[in-house]
Amino acid sequence: MIDGLKEKLEKAFPRAAIVVMPDTDYLVTVDKESVLSMLAYVKDSGFDHLALVSCVDWMDEREFELVYVLSSYMKDNEQVNGNEKLNLILKTRISRDNPAFQTVTHIFENAEPYERELHELFGVYFEGHKRLVPLFLERTYDIPPFRKDFDTRQYVKKIFDNIPTIQDTKE
Amino acid sequence: MANKYSLNAVYFCTGCGIIEIPPSITARWDAERFGIIPVATPRQGNLFMITGYVSLKTLRAIIRTYEQMPDPKYTVGFGSCPINGGMYWDSYNTIKHLDKYIPVDGWIAGCMPRPEAVFIGVTHLWTLIDKDMANGYIRYREHYDQYRGNQEKLFGKLDWPPLYATATAQKEMAA
Repeated sequence: MIDGLKEKLEKAFPRAAIVVMPDTDYLVTVDKESVLSMLAYVKDSGFDHLALVSCVDWMDEREFELVYVLSSYMKDNEQVNGNEKLNLILKTRISRDNPAFQTVTHIFENAEPYERELHELFGVYFEGHKRLVPLFLERTYDIPPFRKDFDTRQYVKKIFDNIPTIQDTKE
Repeated sequence: MANKYSLNAVYFCTGCGIIEIPPSITARWDAERFGIIPVATPRQGNLFMITGYVSLKTLRAIIRTYEQMPDPKYTVGFGSCPINGGMYWDSYNTIKHLDKYIPVDGWIAGCMPRPEAVFIGVTHLWTLIDKDMANGYIRYREHYDQYRGNQEKLFGKLDWPPLYATATAQKEMAA
């Protein structure tokens, strides 16, 4: 537990909703304008490791939820009492119809592959990202395949089931 | 056939089935009793086991590996996923039927097959080799148009030249 982090965050970001989970986890929900300053702030407060950037598709609400999971391994950090690992989960919502957001690679450099992954699987565009090229996929898809309205069964029928089996032409 | 007791398996890992291969080839189950030994490169091998689900990116590597192996060569699909997709039956990025893209001589079903099943598959492969029925490499040459066509249906234009002259290439050369 970092002493007074909740109070400090509430003071610096009055519009953020902060929940302290029982096992030393912080759950912070902010609006999208405050994400970059919030990430820089908690990085200086001891959360020096960005473990994951993920995305949730809230299709009915026409929104994507971006999730940043941060950890603190700084055992010798004076601000951290005890040696336990701390987690901080930062959530924000962006529009699903215009899915664009700022990159965080200038704060956490290792966000680069995560943002590329979200770009190809969810179609979220990250402004300022230097290398937003495909990461895993070989084919291009009409709808990014991790969106809720992507019908995998229909896609399999259309692409893979339409490939013919090898016909033995010799009699 | 002379090479049925000396199968050199290409150590190509795909999917989760490869975890069954180390115990199979080492002291506990000892595949060398059956003449199977893993080799370092596809150019020295004649047995190709596809040990799990095949994503599009892996299929590209599988085709290139298969085409580098010298004849005669035998392919065995290992586990449920190369047979019909298995648990990835509705995945957006996993091919369902491996034998549409490269010829397969035999299948070992299971998720996962135990090493005993691998050796039963090997003895079946011996029978097939004896009867000249393990002829996947011949089928690949004869139906190369269809195989290459299926591969190009997935990948678009492939960035390596055809292994054999396709019918269209033969027409172009004649013209």
